[in-house]
Amino acid sequence: MQRILEAYVGEYASGKSENAVNRSLQLIKKGRKVRLVDLDVVEPFYTLRPLKKILEQMGIDVLAWETAETIGLGEAAIPLKKETIRALEFDGDLIFDLGYGIDGCNILKIIKDSSGEEKEEKIKIIMVVNITRPLTSSVPLILKMVNEFEEVDGLINNTHLGEETTIELIQKGAIMVTEVAKKLSLPVVATTALRDLASRIGEFDVMGNKVWPIDRYMSKAIW
Amino acid sequence: MITESGGVKMAKETLAGEYQEILNNEKEMFMTGNEVVAWAALAAEADFMYGYPITPQNEIMYYWAKLAPAFGRGFLQTEDEISAGFTMLGGALVGKKTFSATAGPGNILMQESISMAEMMRLPGVWIIQQRGGPSTATVIYSQQEFRLTTTGGNGEGMRLVYSTSSHQELFESTIKAFNNAWKYRFPTFVLGDGYQAKMREPVVLFNPKLRNWEIIAAEPIAMKSGVPYLERDPVHLRNTFNIEEELYDILSGHLADFRRMKQEVVEWDEGGSEKADLLVVAHGIVGRAAISAVKTVNNQGLRVKYFRPITVRPFPGEALRKIVSEEPELKILVAESAYGQLLSVVKEELYGLANTIESYLKPGLGITAEEIEEILVRLGKKEG
Amino acid sequence: MVEKNQRVSRGIIENQNMPRSWRKETKPHRFCPGCGHGIALKALGDVVDELGILDQVLYGCDIGCSLLSWDFFNFDSIQTHHGRTIPVIVGAKRARPEIVGIAYMGDGGGYAIGAQHLVNAATRGDRITAIVANNTLYAMTGGQMAPTTLPRQKTSTTPYGRDPLITGSPTLGPELVAAIASEGSYVARGTVGDYNKLKLFIKKALLNQMEGKGFSFVEVLSTCPTNWRTGAKETWGFLQGKMENYFKVGELQVSQGNRLGEEG
Repeated sequence: MQRILEAYVGEYASGKSENAVNRSLQLIKKGRKVRLVDLDVVEPFYTLRPLKKILEQMGIDVLAWETAETIGLGEAAIPLKKETIRALEFDGDLIFDLGYGIDGCNILKIIKDSSGEEKEEKIKIIMVVNITRPLTSSVPLILKMVNEFEEVDGLINNTHLGEETTIELIQKGAIMVTEVAKKLSLPVVATTALRDLASRIGEFDVMGNKVWPIDRYMSKAIW
Repeated sequence: MITESGGVKMAKETLAGEYQEILNNEKEMFMTGNEVVAWAALAAEADFMYGYPITPQNEIMYYWAKLAPAFGRGFLQTEDEISAGFTMLGGALVGKKTFSATAGPGNILMQESISMAEMMRLPGVWIIQQRGGPSTATVIYSQQEFRLTTTGGNGEGMRLVYSTSSHQELFESTIKAFNNAWKYRFPTFVLGDGYQAKMREPVVLFNPKLRNWEIIAAEPIAMKSGVPYLERDPVHLRNTFNIEEELYDILSGHLADFRRMKQEVVEWDEGGSEKADLLVVAHGIVGRAAISAVKTVNNQGLRVKYFRPITVRPFPGEALRKIVSEEPELKILVAESAYGQLLSVVKEELYGLANTIESYLKPGLGITAEEIEEILVRLGKKEG
Repeated sequence: MVEKNQRVSRGIIENQNMPRSWRKETKPHRFCPGCGHGIALKALGDVVDELGILDQVLYGCDIGCSLLSWDFFNFDSIQTHHGRTIPVIVGAKRARPEIVGIAYMGDGGGYAIGAQHLVNAATRGDRITAIVANNTLYAMTGGQMAPTTLPRQKTSTTPYGRDPLITGSPTLGPELVAAIASEGSYVARGTVGDYNKLKLFIKKALLNQMEGKGFSFVEVLSTCPTNWRTGAKETWGFLQGKMENYFKVGELQVSQGNRLGEEG
């Protein structure tokens, strides 16, 4: 069985962490072994950290700081945990949660370089898109962001407006993200939506992309 | 590696247009507070941001640096907040709309330039995303920069400070801040906090001009057109004076301007029961929690009102005093994530009235609607 | 002092030695007899005249005696806080690059309280001209030790003479700037004891800015007989003796390591 290696990237506040967490749980439920790696070095204080314990109880191997470990570090926290750069030394699936911006994506290079392994295992880079985020709110703007990330292997439509999300809005997101994917010959991995909305949409969105129901975990974090 | 497609090239060329469309279309967006500020500055036709990194305001710089070039606006990352503040004033001096964003220890360093701005009536907008204090404390949240922002510096606190409680208000108050900074020429602030900076919620961005909002243009204070001496008098500005009376005269003029400005800019939000036994006073994000709590307990039959100052300097003291003086039995609860910074202003504004003032003070700690609700239930009397 | 609305006769008899960019209404100036500021500012005024840039100059002055120049010229000026003249001028220049920005300050403003601004403006290559008057002490506050006070020199805070073991050696401003300034910067040290050379340095500094090449920096060795407690002869003796021995007059080569556009 080939292991799954996926990194979630995207515009700031696009839902990367939420999607990475949900993807990890999806794989756990299938009986797979999963490690979730927090690589948000751009904004180290607003990451998976507060969720670590809960996710571990659900069976995920979480590589992230624990809040207790960072006491006294304040703003000077060393955001990259020492063990994290050897994250690939794990016999199971790996899901990476990357910080926003180009530098967030580049952090993967550190992981790859330090693994010391010769065999080139491809980490699939999946960009999470919410079309209500201003900088990914139109086809040209999403194209520009894909270009900034340099390397993207698939897109996820994660369009929502928090409490005000409607099915119509999610479908609008699906149409726009699919248009971008076509232009770039990339797959749309899925449309993700909160469980109740997802069940109302059905198995596929209006563009025929798979719908993945997700649950909110990040609200348990500080943000 | 994705090669640059036609679509991407097109995106680069039409970026300014795309950004402008976001403002013009008034679509609902899902945003963090820091982003909202950057877009508001763009909408308010700010020209230049001078900034220094500090959490939790970093994304203001991140988004401004990203958006500004498409509109020919500028950004400079300075060596510290002292420099950010003074470079801002240099830009304002020669007629540009300038701003900066900071927090905590950065806010302290910024006070020096703000003091000069106050003396010399140089306009500027400062965005403060409050973090825990004193000292470096936390990068997360507090309301402990209330006093520093409203009355910091070695003067009289002739400043205009908006304290916001939602992203929509943050967007609109930031635009107002730019307008009023250049209209009245007192240092102008948007007092946010780490929660608002990072919190995500829907907001409708708009182009103020399409809503017929006046956008006040920046005028050069020095370096106007014309050859100095030959075609106009040279502009010589100073903040140093030789004699007490000279300073006193200048300050008297500034203070008169400040009092005049107060009449035109004070803003607040009040609501809840028509007749009340209890009034909760809170600002910013705690004000939002207070409103939510008041709504809940009103539904349970408690007679409670809320008062949320939006301009915390100048403070809408007359409005508050009016509410309180009409009901001698009204009990007041002040809630804030600081140890009595808002409370002391409320006490000052209500001086001489006999109403009881209670407080809920949590320096550096968030206050939820549920916490306020509990206190309101404890303090409030049932109707009838 | 000239009040805002007060019209002052602009003089029928022209003083041929006074630069046209000097403001006659505020002369005679307020510096002490024998003070070097007047000479430094004459050189600056002459250069502005020669370059014909009266309407392009934004002049900032610091706290300390330099603030007495706030209404010295016919061009626009702003007197700032101690050490903050460089950032004010940097901010103006970044906002309106067509301006010729001049930041004028003393050695305290340049090398002590405002040192971080000098260092960073130099490394960023801000297109402004900073002029620092070095008179080896804080004059306006009563002659305290400055970063530039010479070894064994007595000041009000080094009553037994500056001991380098305790308070270090004098700051070498131009040498510092030359070591860190980005490519295209201009760095020199002049002296009020050699007017023509000083004028030349200031002119080259302003031209360097106007040509958009980089940061421009001139230190001016200046005199302070009031705080030095010296007569005319001793004043010039100290300037041209001890000071010029320690602080070498001339242009400095910007370090070749600070090339622009090269990745590390």
